[in-house]
Amino acid sequence: MVKPKTAYFNKFIHWKMMMIYLVAILCVSIVLTTAIGPVYVSPLDIIALLGSKLHLCETASIPHKYETIIFQIRLPRIFLGLLVGLALATAGTTLQGLFKNPMADPYIIGIASGAAVGAVMSISLLPHFFSIYTTPFMAFLGAVFATFLVYTIAQTGGRIAVDTLLLTGIAVSLFLSAVLSFMMYRVSHDLAGIFFWLMGGFWLASWAQVEIAILPIFVCFFLIYMFAKDLNAMLLGEESAQTLGINVEAAKKILLILSAFITAAAVSFVGTIGFVGLIIPHITRILVGPDHRILFPASALVGGIFLVWTDALARVLGEMPVGIITAFFGAPFFIYLLKKRKGSKYYV
Amino acid sequence: MCSNSLKINGKMSLEIKDVDAHYGSTKILDSINFSASHGELMGIIGPNGSGKTTLLRTISRILKPKVGTILLEGRDVQGMKDKEFSRNFAAVPQDTTINFDFSALDIVLIGRNPHLGRLELETEKDIEIARRSMELTNCWRLAERPITELSGGERQLVIIARALTQEPKVLLLDEPTSHLDIKYQIEIMKLLKRLTTEEKLIVIAVIHDLNLAARYCDRLVLLHEGKIITLGTQTQVLTAENIKNTFGASVIVKKHVLTNQCYVSPVPSPLKHENKNEAGRVTIHLICGGGEGASLMHVLAAKGYSVTAGVVNLLDTDYEVAKLLNIPVVAEAPFSPITQEAFQAHLTLADKANMVVLCNIPFGSGNLKNLEVAEAALKRKKALLVFDTTNIEKRDFTNGEAAKRFIALKTKGALTVKNEEEVLKAIK
Repeated sequence: MVKPKTAYFNKFIHWKMMMIYLVAILCVSIVLTTAIGPVYVSPLDIIALLGSKLHLCETASIPHKYETIIFQIRLPRIFLGLLVGLALATAGTTLQGLFKNPMADPYIIGIASGAAVGAVMSISLLPHFFSIYTTPFMAFLGAVFATFLVYTIAQTGGRIAVDTLLLTGIAVSLFLSAVLSFMMYRVSHDLAGIFFWLMGGFWLASWAQVEIAILPIFVCFFLIYMFAKDLNAMLLGEESAQTLGINVEAAKKILLILSAFITAAAVSFVGTIGFVGLIIPHITRILVGPDHRILFPASALVGGIFLVWTDALARVLGEMPVGIITAFFGAPFFIYLLKKRKGSKYYV
Repeated sequence: MCSNSLKINGKMSLEIKDVDAHYGSTKILDSINFSASHGELMGIIGPNGSGKTTLLRTISRILKPKVGTILLEGRDVQGMKDKEFSRNFAAVPQDTTINFDFSALDIVLIGRNPHLGRLELETEKDIEIARRSMELTNCWRLAERPITELSGGERQLVIIARALTQEPKVLLLDEPTSHLDIKYQIEIMKLLKRLTTEEKLIVIAVIHDLNLAARYCDRLVLLHEGKIITLGTQTQVLTAENIKNTFGASVIVKKHVLTNQCYVSPVPSPLKHENKNEAGRVTIHLICGGGEGASLMHVLAAKGYSVTAGVVNLLDTDYEVAKLLNIPVVAEAPFSPITQEAFQAHLTLADKANMVVLCNIPFGSGNLKNLEVAEAALKRKKALLVFDTTNIEKRDFTNGEAAKRFIALKTKGALTVKNEEEVLKAIK
């Protein structure tokens, strides 16, 4: 019986192949979505332009305005989309593994409502008072503060019970939503702005934002990835993981903080885009299986690809908030998955 | 039992010393002391809530003992690093459900975690170890199947293989056989036995089924309210008295006919005592042995009659039932003929009774004196009931003497009965 053994090593090959496919799809997606927008630029021109930037060929024939559209408007948007997709998918995967609950998403521990309260405060009370970074900064503070609050309430005697954490997250989120509604009802003069922020969008994306977001998001991603095996073991139950040599309480705390941080970094610039953190891990699990060692990089790529395309659609549909599109396509797709896998224990 | 021969270097391998464990402010374990050697299968038994699982959780370092130490080969386990600890101790939890679609081999390979670095992939060697564990537990055939599709018994085998893949010295299992059918119960217990004898593991298992525990464990620990009540071989631990005191259940402990292991079976709880006062004044003496009087004892005691019995051998079912029902009984050492002293005691006891019942017992030279007691009862004009369900010739091993005297009893006025109901009727 040699078969399962070779099959096991085939698994690693399968993982590599999946990553190669996904990176290829990502590259093609970047080129194709750069073409999409109010002004159409042919993908061939885009490749030529990219080539000239890298000093690989000459591009005298392409108008200068295209270069501005592509390099100053679309590419930063696409790269920010990739980063946010990566961040949300990673946080979603982490929290679903941590909670052993397929319904968990990055916003479940109060991050979204915290960020929203921070952002709306800034939009309503200090409109562009300091700079264009006021809102992202306030959103980040709000997200971190909300997570800290949930975490503090949920822990008893240095331990975190995941059930308590989930319920605390819901309670704090509801409370913050009330604060949010109150501000929108009594204080704010810019409801459209707030609404746009809540649904999320990339229309303000710039290279500067990409530069700010890239470091925390990548650092968090790699740190979370260090815990891939721990999360696998934790799927067997926390006590089993403990007897497998994992410091479960420490791992839980570190992973919670990292996923709060990576999510906060993602939403602070683009608003609370929904559904990515919930459905991307599920889709990826169907593609590559439940092993976190492949699930993290694969879902990061799938998340990036998904957001790049939904944002392209948002551009075409006249700068619609991208959150509307993710939910519009995400929700039916999620229901489809739910129905399809009803027999499996996983969704019971 | 044979634990002495299993000691390595004359020193116990796993020592639990004065361990107290608390949940919050509630004390769950109270100065637990025991040790186990390499190659020993220890069963932890006890009623629900007696602290069995807590004991296992304490040994597996999930719960930190408030007082006391746990030593493995002389080393304090609290001083070990997480990964080092899990290279020595592996645990199989009570609940083994896994909701994610890992293959069985994936699950087993998670057991290599303590031996691998954070980003290290499994190598040929790790898969070889996983394969060996899975062959040992007879589940290699399931390697590629998704864990979510396996039956409870198959999953249990995979989880044990996962624990073995840690290459531990100590294997801890929390009720590994509950929820499993009898085939898997036996398969798992045999496996645990094999792991101790062949792999020299220390196996400590919480086991609910007393008979399975008796059948396979080298030694048993009986827990009650967080304390060890007894610790020792099955014969020392599994006594009707111990079980009554801890589980509050009435049982008979017999030796299994095939294996000579302790075999525990429940006694039906006494029926409602009907007009006890009136019945209590009537004393009925049973001449029994070999289990022939057990059910009658139970019926009569339940009806409220005073019952006495004799002469039975110690460890005989009749003896145990009599002890259980608090029936005064004259007993003799196992396989010994009735001594004069026992005979006299028996005669006195029978003389006090209002009625004597001779059960359907076989006669040999050893217990012929019991027949004499029946004859004496008749002489004193006491009512004598004799069971005659098996032909006397078939249960006579005295070359006809017992048969002759038995028939004489019947002609001299003994009343023949066939079952317990006829006895009850006759008493009235």
